[in-house]
Amino acid sequence: MITIRRILLVEDDARDVELTVAALKSYSLGNTVDVARDGVEALDYLHARGKFAARPPGLPVVVLLDITMPRLDGLEVLRQIKASPQFKNLPVVMFTSSREEPDLKKCYELGVNAYVAKPVEFPEFAEAVKQVGAFWVILNERPPDPQPPQTSKE
Amino acid sequence: MERRVTERTTQLSEANQILKQRAAELETANHELDSFSYSVSHDLRAPLRHVSGYASLLRQAAGPNLPEESRHFLDEINGSAAHMGRLIDGLLLFSRMGRAGLRPQELDLAALVEATIHQLRPESNGRNIRWQTQALPPVHADPVLLRQVLVNLLSNALKYTRTRDPATIEIGCASNDGPETVIFVRDNGVGFDMEYGHKLFGVFQRLHANEEFEGTGIGLANVRRIISRHGGRTWAEGKVDEGATFYFSLPILGPQAVPARSTLEHSPPPPEPH
Repeated sequence: MITIRRILLVEDDARDVELTVAALKSYSLGNTVDVARDGVEALDYLHARGKFAARPPGLPVVVLLDITMPRLDGLEVLRQIKASPQFKNLPVVMFTSSREEPDLKKCYELGVNAYVAKPVEFPEFAEAVKQVGAFWVILNERPPDPQPPQTSKE
Repeated sequence: MERRVTERTTQLSEANQILKQRAAELETANHELDSFSYSVSHDLRAPLRHVSGYASLLRQAAGPNLPEESRHFLDEINGSAAHMGRLIDGLLLFSRMGRAGLRPQELDLAALVEATIHQLRPESNGRNIRWQTQALPPVHADPVLLRQVLVNLLSNALKYTRTRDPATIEIGCASNDGPETVIFVRDNGVGFDMEYGHKLFGVFQRLHANEEFEGTGIGLANVRRIISRHGGRTWAEGKVDEGATFYFSLPILGPQAVPARSTLEHSPPPPEPH
């Protein structure tokens, strides 16, 4: 599957979505974000099904993943991504309020690519978003594309 | 005789039962504390980030057109959000200090003090500070937690001597025999009124206005919590405008803990964590 120059932001809090997009915008990365509002939507996005059935094909350059979300939480989404032959190379960055050790430990055990705690103060928050965005969209060399997946028919 | 043995056995097994129940209650309370601090960490930070975020965005969007006074309001909103962020971080640290496993070992206190002074150098930049470190005995304590104690005490001393030129900060050992080692940190700073001294080590208790000396009121509470977990005590002496002295004690343990030890010994392997 081809990689598209998009960031998938998985975040249930509308204000966090707005602030993250605002931060990306001020660094001209604003047009690169797709948003899933919980874990179920995130998997729908990756499989291009449900609400995202009509999206352009391809995988995002990175998934920014919140932990605490309704329905399916970030840890479970991470587990499913890393356990899937189709998605396991997809970079996942936890982007969360929690700095608690158990969360860090679980995420790294599940194979997360990076873990960023959202700073409380906006200038630092914006800087973190910018650095993460710029790194994964511009700087990072993506993994080679795997063989084309079987498109799921529903 | 036999009857008394039976009675005694019954009493013991009852006491045992009560102890088991207490342990179970404690474990539950600990779990609740864990999930409480988790939710503090996650749920209180989020709205705070939004307050700071929207105030910053408003300043960006409308800043140049806003009257000076309105810009000041936005700065105050941001400043308060940042302060509350620090309070939350402090509270989390305080709760972590209470739960972290204690791994006491023989420590070279003099080296630890020196490293802490080095670490605090950025805070003392450009100031005239006289550090006076006396000979310090080795102590038996958890290295990470004792480092936290020293950071808190020395950065307090730095903060409250800000108006002094030169500032004098003295670290010494008040006594090292009997049951405990007593260490003190003395400064020639603004001091405090002994009448309110009992409040010094309380959580969120402050004796100075935030505009005068910034702070969260968590540092000394952490010091007390860490030291009391080591079985030691904390206290302070001071006088307004004439400086303050903070003391902490650590129990002297074991056969190797004789008074008047040389400054450096080989550390025994740390005991098993509890």
